[in-house]
Amino acid sequence: MKQEIHFVTGKGGVGKSVIAAALALKLSMQGKNVLLVELGDQSFFKDFFELGEVGFQPRSIKPNLSLALWSGESCLREYAQYLIKIESLAKLFFDNAVMRAFINIAPGLPELAILGKVTSGPRKYGPPMNFDAVVVDAFATGHFKALIQAPKGMAQAVQFGPMGEQSRSIINVLKDETISKYHIVSLPEELPLKESAELAAAIKEELSVHPSLVLNKMLDVKVSRETLQKEEQNSSSDLGKFALYLEQQLDRQAEMFKQAQLQHDSIKQVPLIFELDAWGLVEKIVEKV
Amino acid sequence: MANRIFDNTNVLVCVGSGGVGKTTVAASIAILAAKEGKKVLVLTIDPAKRLAQTLGIEGTNDVTRVPGQNFKGELYASVIDHKKTFDDFVERAAQKSEAVRKIFDNSLYKQLSTNLSGSQEFTSLEKLYSCYESKQYDLIILDTPPTKHALDFLKAPQKLSALFTEGVAKWFRDPEGKKSGFFGHLIQAGTRQVLKVLETLTGSQFIRELGDFFLNIEQWQGKLLQRTIDVQRMLVAPTTRFFLVTSFDQAKLKEAEYFSREIRKGGYQLDTVILNRVFPHWLDLRVGYEGSTAEQDLAELYSQMKSYYNQRDAIYRQFETKMSQQARVLRIPDLVKDISDLAGLEELSTLIREQETL
Ligand SMILES: Nc1ncnc2c1ncn2[C@@H]1O[C@H](COP(=O)(O)OP(=O)(O)OP(=O)(O)O)[C@@H](O)[C@H]1O
Ligand SMILES: Nc1ncnc2c1ncn2[C@@H]1O[C@H](COP(=O)(O)OP(=O)(O)OP(=O)(O)O)[C@@H](O)[C@H]1O
Ligand SMILES: [Mg+2]
Ligand SMILES: [Mg+2]
Repeated sequence: MKQEIHFVTGKGGVGKSVIAAALALKLSMQGKNVLLVELGDQSFFKDFFELGEVGFQPRSIKPNLSLALWSGESCLREYAQYLIKIESLAKLFFDNAVMRAFINIAPGLPELAILGKVTSGPRKYGPPMNFDAVVVDAFATGHFKALIQAPKGMAQAVQFGPMGEQSRSIINVLKDETISKYHIVSLPEELPLKESAELAAAIKEELSVHPSLVLNKMLDVKVSRETLQKEEQNSSSDLGKFALYLEQQLDRQAEMFKQAQLQHDSIKQVPLIFELDAWGLVEKIVEKV
Repeated sequence: MANRIFDNTNVLVCVGSGGVGKTTVAASIAILAAKEGKKVLVLTIDPAKRLAQTLGIEGTNDVTRVPGQNFKGELYASVIDHKKTFDDFVERAAQKSEAVRKIFDNSLYKQLSTNLSGSQEFTSLEKLYSCYESKQYDLIILDTPPTKHALDFLKAPQKLSALFTEGVAKWFRDPEGKKSGFFGHLIQAGTRQVLKVLETLTGSQFIRELGDFFLNIEQWQGKLLQRTIDVQRMLVAPTTRFFLVTSFDQAKLKEAEYFSREIRKGGYQLDTVILNRVFPHWLDLRVGYEGSTAEQDLAELYSQMKSYYNQRDAIYRQFETKMSQQARVLRIPDLVKDISDLAGLEELSTLIREQETL
């Protein structure tokens, strides 16, 4: 079986992490061995799921489900160790102050290192990754665009040597829709939707793939319009105000959904769930993703 | 701690992770200050189209007097154009026009000036500083670019200048090693292996490209370092304050606590945390459930939602208690509508004002 790679992206705060976790949990419940990956150097899930340490090496958090935190520097470090095979030499390299400053700032290098690691399974490059699926809780819009543009930029700037070769093989994996899937999370609100439309266009243009839209926090109301309107008459009561709020939200949501349909081929809807427990929330979303 | 968010303040920096409402809140506070008679400039980043129209800054990067205002003071706004600000900086920093052209043509520069994490933070501060230097405003409010964590904003420019202080450019000055530049420096430092590793990892062509890039930008070093120092001085001045906008969830609140501690360590003043979009504006948690004749499904949804927000309220209170030593916490409701006209911004600013005086 081919390894699947799922990238979950979207505007800040729209629910990327929660949707990524739900997707990972869902795949793991189907019997796949799943790795959920966070990017950067601070873990969100550590506090969210109240876990102990979360680091570069995957740790199991549920049956069939592991979690890891990958930064540009840690990915590069592993890549270096794999290539040079001498740990002390790799250490010397990364402990060098100039090198550290350089690695953190060199255009595209951290991005390339992360993508190299994420795609290392299908490329059969680097330490083995024994997972059937990798779900990446990826960067928000702007940084995600920079992430997927990095290999092309690098391949153009450096045609020869390992950087160019690696870049080209990463691009091949990112463009292969049997392996790589892209999920853009958004909200039924104007600004997030506008950003998702632009992001979808950018991903299509860069990789010729078809990202899908996940419309999160949709109010799920089973009450009829008549009932709402009846209750609204009682405008001084809290319930009356609630009914009015629901109706306004439903109208706005319907309009936003129409707009989203014009911009995206595939849309999944995830309801707003009144649940504060982290796993409780994620479990309830599983059926929807 | 000042009474008001902008008392005795010339610069107000609005930080927070992506999507929490920084731009909206920054504009609302600007209105609040203008109403009180101040000459205010709000520097926004990527505002929504309609908000930009409201502020009169759609399609322009110039500082613009916000149209249709009738305040005691005056409100000005501007959108920060990162590419242009970066290019302007380079033009000023590079002494010869020949050098400027060479830099603009370098493909790595093109990436650095627009794409690189850190460059937007740099240009935001650069723009802020040049407006600050002009001394034309009583108060400048800076919106900040979307980052994963609030703290990233302050770390980014330092990352950029670390590159120069650590002398990377020196490494590349003489790639052939004729003048004991690149190689010489390494051998001197006894770290010839470090170079070998870099070459194994990236290939020699990559190193050449980078060398070219660093040689071109080396001349900025002095200007950049000076600028970093000036900007830093402005940021820790007693008349500069930060406020954090954050949304709800336990992880975010923890981050806010961490942020407030770290920012204090850095010598900055953070005295307000704004919890944005905490409850829908109509919800009054003090009112108990009325047990009316309403339809079952509606009543159920209502009590579900209410108990959810009640639990959140408890978490907010804990957070407020924890933070009370360090900063005041303001809660802003979700207005459940698009906030893009002056009326909407004013509504939000009134809510902020009410919270301040609680
Ligand atoms: N369907 C939902 N129903 C209710 N709450 C939700 C839902 N989806 C997400 N949330 C809540 O919304 C908040 C933001 O979600 P999350 O942290 O996943 O967003 P994000 O896009 O990853 O944010 P960031 O850009 O900061 O990483 C969290 O408090 C989360 O619990
Ligand atoms: N209190 C509020 N009530 C209702 N809507 C709000 C409120 N605050 C912000 N919003 C809405 O939330 C959305 C995001 O706000 P905004 O663009 O200001 O966030 P931001 O932090 O600047 O985002 P980014 O990090 O992407 O720049 C906007 O559509 C805005 O109108
Ligand atoms: Mg997240
Ligand atoms: Mg903004």
